[in-house]
Formats: sequence, C-alpha cells, structure tokens
Amino acid sequence: MQDLIDELGRMPGVGPKSAQRITFHLLKLPREDALKLATAIIEVKDKVTFCERCFNVSEGPLCGICTDERRDTHVVCVVEEPRDIVAVEKTHEYRGSYHVLQGAISPIEGIGPEQLKVKELLGRLDPEGVTEVILCTNPNIEGEATAMYLARLLKPLGIKITRIASGLPVGGDLEYADELTLGRALEGRREVE
Amino acid sequence: MFLRHLWLTDFRNYATAELAPATGLTAIVGDNGEGKTNLLEAIGYLATLSSFRGAPGDALLRSGCERAIVRAEVDNDGRVASVEAELHAIGRDRVLVNRQPLRRSRDLLGTVRTTVFSPDDLALVKGGPAERRRLLDDTLVACAVKHDALRADVDRVLRQRTTLLKQAGGRLTADIEATLEVWDAKLADAGERLGDARDELATRLAPSTAAAYDAVAPRPARVGLRYEAPWRDEGLATALAKARADDVRRSVSTVGPHRDELALSVGGLPARTHASQGEQRSLALALRLATHEVVGESAGSPPVLLLDDVFSELDGFRSAALLRSLPAGQALLTTAGALPPGAVPELLVRVQGGTIVP
Ligand SMILES: [Zn+2]
Repeated sequence: MQDLIDELGRMPGVGPKSAQRITFHLLKLPREDALKLATAIIEVKDKVTFCERCFNVSEGPLCGICTDERRDTHVVCVVEEPRDIVAVEKTHEYRGSYHVLQGAISPIEGIGPEQLKVKELLGRLDPEGVTEVILCTNPNIEGEATAMYLARLLKPLGIKITRIASGLPVGGDLEYADELTLGRALEGRREVE
Repeated sequence: MFLRHLWLTDFRNYATAELAPATGLTAIVGDNGEGKTNLLEAIGYLATLSSFRGAPGDALLRSGCERAIVRAEVDNDGRVASVEAELHAIGRDRVLVNRQPLRRSRDLLGTVRTTVFSPDDLALVKGGPAERRRLLDDTLVACAVKHDALRADVDRVLRQRTTLLKQAGGRLTADIEATLEVWDAKLADAGERLGDARDELATRLAPSTAAAYDAVAPRPARVGLRYEAPWRDEGLATALAKARADDVRRSVSTVGPHRDELALSVGGLPARTHASQGEQRSLALALRLATHEVVGESAGSPPVLLLDDVFSELDGFRSAALLRSLPAGQALLTTAGALPPGAVPELLVRVQGGTIVP
C-alpha cells in the first residue's frame, strides 16, 4: 500500500495527504473499476506517444498539426503542455505550428531548462525557417519565468519574439481561459523587448 | 459591512448552529472548551479562508464528518449576499456566493472582512519579524484583494529561487545562472511592489497606532512604527545582484521582502526588547485598532470586530480603555468570565457543548 501512496504522491498536484486519500478511495473500489483504471493507464501509455517534431500527443511519429500542410511553419507557438494546444486551437485565431515544452521551469518540481524541450526548439528554428516565436506559456509565476528565459535565449538569434498579451486571468492556466479571452491575448501579442 | 446571519454545519464542535448577531456588540459567553471561539473562527474563515488560530483545514471539521459548512448572510452597504464555504475531508473545498460556486475560492476574499483581536496578539510586539510582516500583509489583503496575488507571487518566486540555490550546491553553472537571473528579475519586480505597498501601509498605520496607543495605555508615550527594508534604497534588482555570490555560497536568499521588519518603538526604544510587558500589550492593542481603522477607510466600511477572549488578558484599565476605543460597527466578543465592566451588548448568547443557548 505504501508503494501506491508513494507513486501517487509523485503525480503533479498530489501531495502526500491526497495520495493517502486516493489510495483509501481505490481500496474501496470494486475490482472491475480498479482494473478499468489500470487498463486505461496502460493503453494510453502504449498507443499515444509524442510528436517527434513538436512534442504534441500523437498516435504516429508526427502529430495531426505537423502533418497538416496548410499550417504556417514560419511561426511557432510555444506552450507548456499538449492540452494548451487544444486551448489555442479553440480560438481559431492561429494557423502556425506549435512546440510543446512539456512543462515550465520550476526548481521546486526539479524542472530546469534541460528537462524541457528547449534544445529541440532551438534545433527547429533554422531548418524550418522560423521568423516568429510566440511565447504562450501560462500566465503564472513559472510560465512567466519560462517565457522570460526563452526570450533571453532567443532574442540574440534575431527572431521576432512575442508574448501573449496580458488580460488572461493572472495566476491561472491557459486551459481555464475562455476562447474569446485567449483569442484576444493571442491577437494582441506584443514583441518582447 | 456586517453579518446578518451565520449558519454552521459540522463545523468544529457544532453539529448545527445558527446565530443572528446584533449590528452592534454581541457577547458570547460560556466556559472554556464549549465552542465560543469556534463561532468567531467560522466568521474569520469566510474572511480569509483560513483559521485565525492557524489550524489546518481538516481540524475544522466536526470529528468523524466528511464535510463542514459555514454560511453567512452579509450586508455590504445594503447589498445582501449569501456566502458559503464547504470544507471537505477529501477533495477540494468549495466556496459559493449567492449559491453560485466560485471557480477560484480566493475570489471570495474581500466579501467578508474581519479584524481579529486574540490573546496571542502580544506576539505582534514580542515575536519575531515574521509576525509583523504577516500583520502588514494580512492588512494589505484586507485593504485590497489584489495584494493576495502579490503576496503569493513573492512567496512562490522566493521558494523557487531558494530551491534553485540549494540545487546549485554552491556552484554557479551557466545554466543555473541563466535561470537564477530570471528568478531575480521576477523577485525584483514583485518584491518592489510588495515593499512599496508595505511601506505605504506603515506610513498610514503610524499615526493611527500612536493615537490608539494613547487611548488604551495608562500612560501616553511616543510610539514609532517604520517599515525597514534595507534594499529599498538601491532597489531590489541591484541588491540581489550584490548579494548573489553570498546567496549562492550559502544557498539562501539573503535579501528581499521576506527579511524586512516593521520596527516598533515606545519612547524611542525598540518595543520588542525594551518596552515593559504592559507597554507591549498596549502597543499590540493599538496595532489592531490601527489596522481596523485603515482597512475600514480603504474598504469603505469597517470590518467586523472579533474579540476572542481578549479581556481576560487585560487589566481593568486597558479593558475599559479598549471598550471605549472600539469604533462603531459590528463586534462579537467571547468571554469565559464576567463581561468586562462597561460592555453593554445588544445581544448576549451562551454557548454550551456546541449549542448556542439564547
Ligand atoms: Zn507535431
């Protein structure tokens, strides 16, 4: 039982107390419900991988967006998680490509730039002829810090760096912003000095 | 603002309870351990979404219960709102305003405002600087809700920066330096704003505290109150840059708003070390009265006063003086003994074993 508590405690946003609660909840579940959960976890691990180019979730080597020839590859929208792509796509304001960092800089969670897909982003700039990078990380402390880090890294390379406009709920996540607000933030993006 | 009605379900030792406080003074009497303070704690919870006794969330649930509910009807200048906090043993707590759940519980802040006097208030003067920084920050949040996010930002950036320094283990690689620079920029930005807000608040509190001190102390004295933040002269960005080598070597953040002090003095001498116990007690009362006044001015109407068993700690003079000094508005006091002389409650309720007896 301690193993399960420890494993759950490693999940994002789950503290030791919540891990214990979830474990006790799982203990009460009928066996078939527990199996359903276990199978769902294994299935998603086996079938879904990450796109080789942008690290979005994908069922093949390249994701649906990277294989869509109508997308403009000169503009890259940098997000923290694949779910943020869903949020941006819902706005219907954006026709460029994406790059998923798979997180944000957060020493507390042991995440520095080297744990993120930063090198991979740098490697895309020249081959894809990228002219603009939109920093679309979350409007919270870690997202802002990540955007600042990337801006300082990319600015000397002579690429246009923009940050989505403020107006998003501060301290929140992109996924909670409604389409209209996010769409406006994207449209009103400003060049980072 | 004032509280028209309070309902509790499975909160602390109350299975259910209902109280309609007077618009003026309500006295809650009863023996110790019967649940007097729990009533004030429930009201305070709606103001800050935390216990003013510092109790963790699950300590607020009646033993064996999965959920506690604190609900109140609040009158803000004639606008009546129903606010409700649901505390859960498992899962997230929920907050509802006019029966609509709030997406973020913190959005409740500012709806209910309280000023709490507690027997532990002496720590404001005798305790370490953290006590006084908390007083400043709590008062800032009560004055304007935006300060809640500012305080949270500063805390978070500091935790990130200090964690990074610990991970660096005394060595500054190019990678760590690049991220440290980002955290420093973030800390400088948020820290400057918090420092400005605290300094401005201290300037506002100083005359109110001095006046309140003379009202509650047996002997008037020159009371000083000043926000001390050594980094503010050169700016936090510069101060952080200067401290960097030291910070890296020691793996701590040595400069910033988390190291600041609200310096208190009585008769020109530091209150923490040089004032008598009586002077310290008067100063603690004066600080609470001053924050009450300043929050009332900022918010447009005075907060609800919660006086938790304070009179037992005060001599007759200070009790009477405090009662005289209480500004108009809603107040609830608890006492295990007799009412302090001069207290004329509009409503008196007795609490016994988790039941309110009218
Ligand atoms: Zn892709």
